[in-house]
Amino acid sequence: MPRARVMNPEAPLIQGVASPNYVVNPNLFYAATRRMRFPGVPGQSLALGSTDTAQLRQTGIISGLEVRVYGSVTFGGTIGTTTVSYEWPYNIVQNLKLSANGQSNLVSCRGITLRALEMTTNPKLDDSGLDQEFGGATVNTGTLAQPTDDWGTSSSNKMGPGSNIAATGTYTVDLTFFVPVAADPTSLIGSVFAQSSATNLTLEVQWATEAQLLSAVGGGATVSWSLNWSVTTIAYSIPNVNGSYVVPDLSLFHQLAETRFGGLVQGQNELLLPGTGVGRRLMRIFHNVYSNGAPVALNATNYNGPLGWAFGGSDTPESYPTGQDARVAGYRVSGVDLGGRWGIALHDFASQFALRDLVDEAATSDLRVFFTLASAPTSGYAQVTQETLFAAPVGA
Amino acid sequence: MDFTAASLYGMTPQAPSVGPASAPISDPATTDPLGTGWRRLTSPANPLFWAGALILVTVGAIGVAGSVRLGRAQLSVSADKG
Repeated sequence: MPRARVMNPEAPLIQGVASPNYVVNPNLFYAATRRMRFPGVPGQSLALGSTDTAQLRQTGIISGLEVRVYGSVTFGGTIGTTTVSYEWPYNIVQNLKLSANGQSNLVSCRGITLRALEMTTNPKLDDSGLDQEFGGATVNTGTLAQPTDDWGTSSSNKMGPGSNIAATGTYTVDLTFFVPVAADPTSLIGSVFAQSSATNLTLEVQWATEAQLLSAVGGGATVSWSLNWSVTTIAYSIPNVNGSYVVPDLSLFHQLAETRFGGLVQGQNELLLPGTGVGRRLMRIFHNVYSNGAPVALNATNYNGPLGWAFGGSDTPESYPTGQDARVAGYRVSGVDLGGRWGIALHDFASQFALRDLVDEAATSDLRVFFTLASAPTSGYAQVTQETLFAAPVGA
Repeated sequence: MDFTAASLYGMTPQAPSVGPASAPISDPATTDPLGTGWRRLTSPANPLFWAGALILVTVGAIGVAGSVRLGRAQLSVSADKG
């Protein structure tokens, strides 16, 4: 067993940190552990445009975090033309970073990516039939909303992305984001070992600015934000059986990393994915394009040519003729219309049969995604997220 | 049920663990009623204990029986002055 060389020469390592003696036995662990839920960050106010940092408790094996943003927004004066941007509501979390056990940025992505991933991986969730304001109209599908969301409500008036605020008033807000530390909530593979004083679990949330959330504010309007945030940690106890601590397979880390690409053009765009390499397997790719601050809907009109992923010279394992075909494929695998409004294209290698479909990055050099745009986006950029599994520093 | 990185995702750890971390752990075992060491040898539950006791009793009985039947044996040596 690899030994820690600094703190305790006899201590074994899990995920690169010194730990008590342990035995890897997933089945025994599942039988003996207990699920726990405790506050990671107690409720506290947030300031738009700032970054909050929190140290999470060093307890058990952490499989997920629930981040809640709640409070109210008050519009006063004369509302005029006050418009909510497409960063609202999800991208109030402009970037959420989770660093653990010496591995920086296990998670680094926007709020909408967290929501899209949750809707994809949890088959119980569905956004159909929920009325929300989107693009100046009331729609009831493809918003990725959950019944527990409050995107901003003041009596019969609602806040919605791309929509004007109808009237002054105090709008209540309540959103939750699930941060999937583990790749799989059942097996707990990808979970972070936190039961060690040598562990360092850091959560960093960068909040959007008011200018990012409101694309226009009426000349006579006033805006006052009163928002809070809290984090709940979902963890599992480490049982002691016959004198030995028992852990599940913690040999892998789960990563969710988002990158922004500019310089998009009319026609085919091919984006080289950063950070790929030997020892990594790709679970999913999400990407969407913004033009003039609005997401470009994934359909055959906007994406009028091939969309897919490729590697090497010209190996193209999967390609859709148009954006509409990719949208349908994304709906079939996730159960929600990711592309219809938010323009999210999904390449999912993990949901059907991960053992068969995961992309081994050792055998796919120069991994990239490509899509064809009917017109060059204005101030355009693409947001590309990779969900990967890779070996923890020291295998448990 | 086999929830490992290898079975679910086809991935093996880069640095396979050795020693206690990789040793299989058995289900909880019952306590050995015989104990260990001298305690094991002197336990009444151990057949060897009774075999030993039987041998001791037999040898002792043989010794007692011989003493009763033959009486006390005396050996003497003398030298003739001639």
